[in-house]
Formats: sequence, structure tokens, C-alpha cells
Amino acid sequence: MAAAIAATVGMPAFAAPPALDSLAPDFALKGIDGRNVRLSEFRGEPVVLHFWASWCGPCRESVAALDALGQSSGASVLGVNLDGADRAAAVAASLRLKAPTLVDAQQSVARTYDVEKLPLTLLLDAEGHVRASWSGVAADLSELTPQLDRLRQD
Amino acid sequence: MKPKSNPMPRLARLITVLALLAAPLAALPSEGDATSLKTVDQDVQALKKQLIDLNRDLFKLEEELLYPASTQVAVFLSVDVGTFFALDSVTLKVDDKEVANYLYTEREVQALHRGGVQKLYLGNLKAGSHEIVAFFTGKGPHDRDYRRGTTLKLDKTVGAKYVELRISDREASLQPEFVVRQWE
Repeated sequence: MAAAIAATVGMPAFAAPPALDSLAPDFALKGIDGRNVRLSEFRGEPVVLHFWASWCGPCRESVAALDALGQSSGASVLGVNLDGADRAAAVAASLRLKAPTLVDAQQSVARTYDVEKLPLTLLLDAEGHVRASWSGVAADLSELTPQLDRLRQD
Repeated sequence: MKPKSNPMPRLARLITVLALLAAPLAALPSEGDATSLKTVDQDVQALKKQLIDLNRDLFKLEEELLYPASTQVAVFLSVDVGTFFALDSVTLKVDDKEVANYLYTEREVQALHRGGVQKLYLGNLKAGSHEIVAFFTGKGPHDRDYRRGTTLKLDKTVGAKYVELRISDREASLQPEFVVRQWE
């Protein structure tokens, strides 16, 4: 059901998100708090990377759930919003997100990651390799949480 | 943009992996005493050093092949004091074509303040005159948004050309200063 209603980004249909075990491409983006964040600076700890947009229904639920997971577990959760700084800040405020919300208004990072459907959630290990991904559906927390715990224990 | 596939780092990694796999076989202690373990440890350390040297040589070779000295141009960025300017990003254009656009994190800015020098761009230019333009954005005095451009007319000769973009403080006017220097 979620897959059926998942929003599609205006990207070519041949694209696909990074394959499992591949190295997640590095990027730097500005957060809604004005701070710049570079993915590679999180090396040494697992990261949940989440691409979302305000107009995508499942994204809102997903980003809120992942934010709560980050708060409860202490894991690093990075949200990459594809709208624009103002819109992203408004939605982040309404959802009371605590995790960094990065803005990719030009969708340059989304293109690098071949984001085809939203939401896209990637679980990265401490070395930046993709260990699990959910595309076009909200990440299944019953799958993600134990995998994240395992990666944090490694 | 996807990372380019380059055979040289793969070769370096392959050599590294092969050497690491071979290391325990070549250096297994015949007796379990401390002397043997010490010897093994020394061998491993020596092997590690050789691998690092080999990786460095391969990296240099790769750079020499991709960016021969006759056409090489490198642009570096450094910060000297920089109390009047908090760096956010640098956009670099060569002959009106954007070749680098770098967003700096707090850690990177701190590293630059501690004396780090960043290689912002490495590329090839043919001999002749070229124009390098750098745009700096960040927070200037009184925490105001600040954007400044600086231009360098570059006369590329046969040898490699190194350009340094330096952000420093102009104490007299309490303003940041953006200096471009050429190194042969």
C-alpha cells in the first residue's frame, strides 16, 4: 500500500539507489540551522540517511519515526530534504525534528544517490557502506532497529 | 556525478590486500616465545611501512599520469588568522567554467585555522593565458553575510602552476582580505 502511494521524484526511471555493500557517496549540505554537514565526518559510527520531501505523505511519517529512533537510541540520523530551506525548516519545526535536516534544494545529492522514489532510507555502517535500504516506502523499523543495534555493537 | 573508475587505486588496494594476506604466512613464529613475537611484530611494522610507501608512490604515479607537470594547475586554500571572516563555501571558476564548489564544515574550518592547507582543485590547462575566479561566501564582520570574489590572470607556461588562495585579516580596516598568490 505504502509503495503504491509513494511519491516519485522527477528523476529518470533507470536510476537506482546505491547497491548494498557499496560505499555511499560523500556529500556536504547545509542544514536548516545554517551549519554545513559532511557525510564522511560521521565515519566511525553507523548512520541512517533519509531522503524526504514535504509533499510526500509517507515521508512525513517516516522522518518523524526515524527522528524518534535517533533520539531514543542515540544513533546518527541525517535527513536530506528536497524542498527548500524555508519549507524544510517549517516542516521540521512542525514535526519537532531533533536530527539534522539538510537541504538539497538543487537535488544534486539526490541525483548522486539516484533517488528514484521517496522516501529513501539508507542504513550505513561505520565505514559508510550501505547495509540496508528502503525505497518508496517508509523504513521498516522492526528490520532497521536490530540491524542498527548490531552495527553499533561492531 | 558518479566517481570515475580508475584502475590505479584498485591496483594499490589489490597489492595491499595480497601483501596483508601473505604477511601472516611469511612471518609465522616458529616458537611461541616473546622474541619470536617481537620479530613478527617488527616484520609486520616493516611491511606496513613498505605498503604505505608503495601506496604513496602509486598515488604520485597516478597524479603524474593524470596531471602531467606540463599542464598541471593546482589551487590551494589556506586561512591566516581569519577572525573577520567565517568561511562557508568557495566556488572556483577556471576560464568561466565552474570547476569546484566546496562547502566547509566546522571541523574543516577549524583545520584550516590550525594551519591546514586544502587542495581545492587539481586539473590541466594548456599553455597560455587563463582566468581563475574564486568566490568566497561566509559571515563577515558583525556576523553579516559576506560574499567576495577575487580574480587571477594566470599565464600558464610549460611547468606546473600552483595557486594559493589565502584568507587573511586586514587589521587596519577590520575586514577580511582575500589574497591570490602564484607559485611555480
